[in-house]
Amino acid sequence: MKSLLEYVGIEPGRLHFSWISSAEATKFQETVVEVTESVKALGPAKHMIKDIRKVA
Amino acid sequence: MSDNSQYQPRIAAFLCNWCSYGAADLAGVSRLQYPPNIHVIRIPCTGRMSPKFILQAFRQGVDGVWVSG
Amino acid sequence: MKVAEHPRFIDMDKCIACGACYDKCPKRIPNEYNEGLDKRKAAYVRYAQAVPLKYSIDKDNCIYFQKGKCRACQKFCPTGAVDFEMEEQQRELQVGSVIISAGFRPFDPSPYVQYAYANFPNVVTALEFERILAASGPWLGHLVRPSDEAEPKKVAWIQCVGSRDINSCDHPYCSAVCCMYAIKEAVIAKEHSKENLDAAIFYMDMRTFGKDFERYYDNAKEDGVRFIRSRIHSINQLADKSLQIEYATEDGRAMLEEFDMVVLSQGLEISPETAAMCRQLGLELNSSSFIDTASFTPVASSRPGVYVCGALAGPKDIPLSVMEASAAACAAAGNLSSARGSMTKEQVIPEQRAVAGDQPKVGVFVCSCGINIAGVVNVDEVAEYAKTLPYVSYVENNLFTCSQDTQDKMAEVIDEQGLNRVVVAACTPRTHEPLFQETMVGAGLNKYLFEMANIRNQDSWVHSDQPEMATEKAKDLVRMAVAKAALLSPLQEVQLEVDPGAMVIGGGLAGMNAALELAKQGYSCHLVERDNALGGNARSLRATAKGEDVASYLVELSQKVEEEPLITTHLGTVIKDVDGFVGNFKTTLAGDSGEEVVEHGVAVIATGASEYKPNEYAYGSHPKVMTHLEIDDGLVSGEVDPKQVNSLVLIQCVGSREPERPYCSKVCCTHSVETALHFKEENPECQVVILYRDIRTFGERELLYKEARSKGVLFVRYDVDQKPVVEADGEGLKVTVRDHILGRDLLIDADMVGLATAITSHKATDLAQMFKVSMDEDGWFLEAHQKLRPVDFATDGVFMAGLCHYPKPIEEAVAQAQAAVARAVTVLSSKEMMLPGTVAVIDQSKCVGCGVCWTVCPYQAIDEDENGLAVVNEALCKGCGTCVASCRSGAPNLRGFTNQGVMAQIMAL
Repeated sequence: MKSLLEYVGIEPGRLHFSWISSAEATKFQETVVEVTESVKALGPAKHMIKDIRKVA
Repeated sequence: MSDNSQYQPRIAAFLCNWCSYGAADLAGVSRLQYPPNIHVIRIPCTGRMSPKFILQAFRQGVDGVWVSG
Repeated sequence: MKVAEHPRFIDMDKCIACGACYDKCPKRIPNEYNEGLDKRKAAYVRYAQAVPLKYSIDKDNCIYFQKGKCRACQKFCPTGAVDFEMEEQQRELQVGSVIISAGFRPFDPSPYVQYAYANFPNVVTALEFERILAASGPWLGHLVRPSDEAEPKKVAWIQCVGSRDINSCDHPYCSAVCCMYAIKEAVIAKEHSKENLDAAIFYMDMRTFGKDFERYYDNAKEDGVRFIRSRIHSINQLADKSLQIEYATEDGRAMLEEFDMVVLSQGLEISPETAAMCRQLGLELNSSSFIDTASFTPVASSRPGVYVCGALAGPKDIPLSVMEASAAACAAAGNLSSARGSMTKEQVIPEQRAVAGDQPKVGVFVCSCGINIAGVVNVDEVAEYAKTLPYVSYVENNLFTCSQDTQDKMAEVIDEQGLNRVVVAACTPRTHEPLFQETMVGAGLNKYLFEMANIRNQDSWVHSDQPEMATEKAKDLVRMAVAKAALLSPLQEVQLEVDPGAMVIGGGLAGMNAALELAKQGYSCHLVERDNALGGNARSLRATAKGEDVASYLVELSQKVEEEPLITTHLGTVIKDVDGFVGNFKTTLAGDSGEEVVEHGVAVIATGASEYKPNEYAYGSHPKVMTHLEIDDGLVSGEVDPKQVNSLVLIQCVGSREPERPYCSKVCCTHSVETALHFKEENPECQVVILYRDIRTFGERELLYKEARSKGVLFVRYDVDQKPVVEADGEGLKVTVRDHILGRDLLIDADMVGLATAITSHKATDLAQMFKVSMDEDGWFLEAHQKLRPVDFATDGVFMAGLCHYPKPIEEAVAQAQAAVARAVTVLSSKEMMLPGTVAVIDQSKCVGCGVCWTVCPYQAIDEDENGLAVVNEALCKGCGTCVASCRSGAPNLRGFTNQGVMAQIMAL
């Protein structure tokens, strides 16, 4: 999936997977922070948004 | 949008109803604070997760996608 | 019976669990939920996941009750739920059976001289450590030690604190759960540790006898948890509050080791209050204050009609407690089956309004939840915004959407405004969706035309420091919910008739008990046994751990089965084919008299297990080397006479706890100790030696081990890489074993050698495939959840009991049979069942019959039809959606979570 995204120009760092059990509220919070920070660091997504619409 | 500290990404979060969605609810009960950038879409199970959803989300202009079981 | 209900001082009907009373309460007291490691208030809820989530006031600590002034909680409660005038209620209940499950309390070592070190700050009990590791604990799951809140680098666990010891305060029994929880804590602590934690467990015997426990123990060793076989001598505190443990190794060397933190693996005990209550109820307790039960009636107390489950009837873990809970429910209901359903009321449901084809008219209800949402999110702004969304025709803001008066009003509004979709922006669907759906059904709307926006748990509560962002997010969430709601269509719940008969497969002790219990509940049952006689492995057993005679019990049991008109017994019969699903199975039986198709609503699998026949220790080549079932058989038939045996050697773990069978067979240690005692009793001159790896006489079986030692039975430990050697010596035998304490070989002359051989699975893969149930890698049937659903399969309507689940003693097999019946009756007692509407559906015009979906379906709910295309069996589908995601042609869709619905949510992002 990540390589497909990379192929269409989306950085793999924008896609995250995790496993959290329903009792792990703290882990949830930590993961949200982590995901948000990592996406933030990449700046706004530039690819695919308009390109594909043009194609379509 | 050029100033990174002001930039607020939009993130689509696909959460499994039984696991991460429950954790998200419990985080609320415990009043744990986190950034408001994630927008939760509840799915019955991560097995439901289709690559098309991820592509559609990016196409829709989200800056990140998070899938959690 | 009479019960006293203590006042909560908060009206449960009015409390909305907003926590205002907790915030305003000025009193701070040690929090018992976190073992006193942090503080709570006098107005409180015991823990975050409490059900129901309602607050109460602790009278003993409340300032108003103690000093007559305060009432802060009452002043700030938004719903007026606080009521200081509440009084204790005396209630008189008319009941037919009573189940008592008052539980245990953890042993508290701190008051006792020999555990003086328990008062050092960095010596904690296992339960305290459990709270330290918990995400909801005092340090949010960060591994720290209490004295300085620094992360420990070395932690030691001390086993058997308050167990297996008879000092002034301790208990002679084994608490059965501590070995396993100590390993679990060590493994989790290592996971939580940022640095590589050094975890060491000091133990006497490692008792990992439960299902998958031995594997967990092996993995822990591989992960670097150190296991040190030693009873420690003492613990000293150092200047920095670290601890120094003095202990002796097995070969007698004195050792000193420093640790940052020590965890005491405290045992289980019955509190004096619980014991007093049991005595008041007229129940007999044993010398350790546990309720006395018999092996053949494991959940019956000494008083007829009073049943018991859980640790109150002896130390036990969660799976067995849950199993016993169902067993107690079965026993309690068995005597009352004639009264079933006599106190229920029928619900009247109005006709459903047809909405298909109508333009969506969405009603949005934005909840303020007192100040829980409105205190952060600008709900008026959200409500105004909702009005601008497509298809929204009605918007309302409520103080509490879930309150009864708002619900009544909601039903009126749905009717008046002709709404055909409802969105509630409030808390979480996980707790409140059913409530709102019920209101919709009451208003004549299909309950699947409903969607929630989670603006409390996942918005206002977690973004309270960013109210503007939270308001924007609430609008986004409402927009997404409305987008999905507009696309929702009414779903029909399929109604299925339930066949009120059962099938029990396996006519051993568990199977016969299950059949009899089903009959007692008033249901007919087919009992299928492949052998030509009932009884199974129990036919070779002499006595239970409590000394009850097995043979006479079996005779009585078989007779009852034969005399019971509701039971049809099929001997010499096997299962050939199974068709159908829960409520409607059609099973083909094949026996001597040909084939027969039987219809039934549920199935209990109780196919048992077999004894491992070894090819080591001269078994098969010398007549005096026998397995433990063979010895038992011989003792019953008289072929083995203890008076003729002057030296008996019993070897443990033959075929168990080895690479090809990496599990503990659970019953062999107790069985060997029991056999040793029997020989000693019949022939006091007989020398009995038991060669073991760990003696696993768990729970109150420990008393047998103690008795055996006091009667002179010798116990010699061996290592798996230095196994004993058995050689023929004429008529007799010679056994050589390495003794660890002496550090040299022992040579024992034996008249007879008994092998405690493993219990092995039949590996009945055919049966598993026919009933669509799974097996684990050792061949044991796999339960739906090891702890919470221990007798259910993941497949509905199929249950398990006895050895086919895992090796277990007789009382557990009987309890499991009763539990399986209680679970089966939940299906059988409903004449018809409703299947949830959120199931997958296949568009056959798009299906190419590639077979991906029926391979990936975790519930085997998709079949190939006669045209080679996929078709969903709605009775088996659990609505996970895996098929939808896997299909390349887009043929499957999941009702309630359709591709279009999820896409609409994404588009609305």
